[in-house]
Amino acid sequence: MNNFFKTLLDRLLRRRRKVKIGLYGHPNSGKTTLANTICEDWIGKPLGVISDIPHETRTVYKQEEVVIEKDGAKLYFDIIDTPGVATKVDYKNFLKYGLSEREAKERAKEATKGIIEAIKWLDDVTGVLLVMDSAEDPLTQANITIIGNLEARKIPFLIIANKIDLPESSADRISAVFPQHTVVPISALHRENIEQLYMEMVKRFR
Amino acid sequence: MEGLKMDFLSSKALEDKSSIEKVSMIIERVKDGDILVLEGSLTPSEEAELIETTMREIDIENFVGIDIHTLEKDEKSFFGFSKKKTIGLTIIGPANVMKTVKKRSNFLSMIAKIGDSGASVH
Ligand SMILES: Nc1nc2c(ncn2[C@@H]2O[C@H](COP(=O)(O)OP(=O)(O)OP(=O)(O)O)[C@@H](O)[C@H]2O)c(=O)[nH]1
Ligand SMILES: [Mg+2]
Repeated sequence: MNNFFKTLLDRLLRRRRKVKIGLYGHPNSGKTTLANTICEDWIGKPLGVISDIPHETRTVYKQEEVVIEKDGAKLYFDIIDTPGVATKVDYKNFLKYGLSEREAKERAKEATKGIIEAIKWLDDVTGVLLVMDSAEDPLTQANITIIGNLEARKIPFLIIANKIDLPESSADRISAVFPQHTVVPISALHRENIEQLYMEMVKRFR
Repeated sequence: MEGLKMDFLSSKALEDKSSIEKVSMIIERVKDGDILVLEGSLTPSEEAELIETTMREIDIENFVGIDIHTLEKDEKSFFGFSKKKTIGLTIIGPANVMKTVKKRSNFLSMIAKIGDSGASVH
């Protein structure tokens, strides 16, 4: 198609439907790190706070009007960074990171609210990057529930096998468990394979 | 009396319950410390509902959430074309009771922790 019409078509489509891409996954899988990498690359500033303590993101953060351009194709979207989804939240797990008992309990309470908010947002997103820590077992209830709901709602998604820089990581294990879905191995922290991810995003969500 | 209570529910027992009834029945029992073994599986929206309800019920001291494990079975379709994986069993229990779970494709082994779990009623 000639470029003029393609741009026109892009504009029309954009007006009709706003693309909202949610970052979903377990606490600590690297959602905010990835959101920051994307925002730094295309907006010039990060989105949220990263921490090695799980449940750092406890409310949804949004960056509107991000544009990824890859080989002349453009993807216009809002990025939605959601709190990590889990089936349990035990404040005692936060104590070993040096939080006081009061801080840990407060964090746990906020984390439970954040998980509810993340699940509610499944009604609003039009695409999802499901971020997994590829050094961990991918077959968890949180991942199964997220994938099941995305499939039921026909929301397109990519599985992101993050942290491939870690020696114990295995993106293949994720592909083996979810063979019917596209798995993109990356390191959000060290920017490994990020260009490939942008290509896949433009392909999948545009 | 201290002990571990396990409830086994056949798919028949669940089939005429609404999603909301199923989820609240599960949560009620799990909050009591029971481990539930269900024949079959929950739907994705029931799973999401179950996680949401769990989050609302977590009370920091006594109930820290749930663990869910599933065992799949291969179901051959009528003509034997496609082999579809379906869930044979769903095991749901309180997170502080279900401690060690070893899982292979058709085998699941679990150690439950009773007492000093922080969930005791004293
Ligand atoms: N080695 C390695 N570490 C990473 C990578 N991406 C993120 N991390 C680390 O993982 C930890 C969690 O990262 P976050 O981005 O805060 O994770 P999150 O998924 O947003 O976590 P919640 O907000 O708690 O749900 C931090 O210590 C990051 O530095 C990666 O590609 N490789
Ligand atoms: Mg985060």
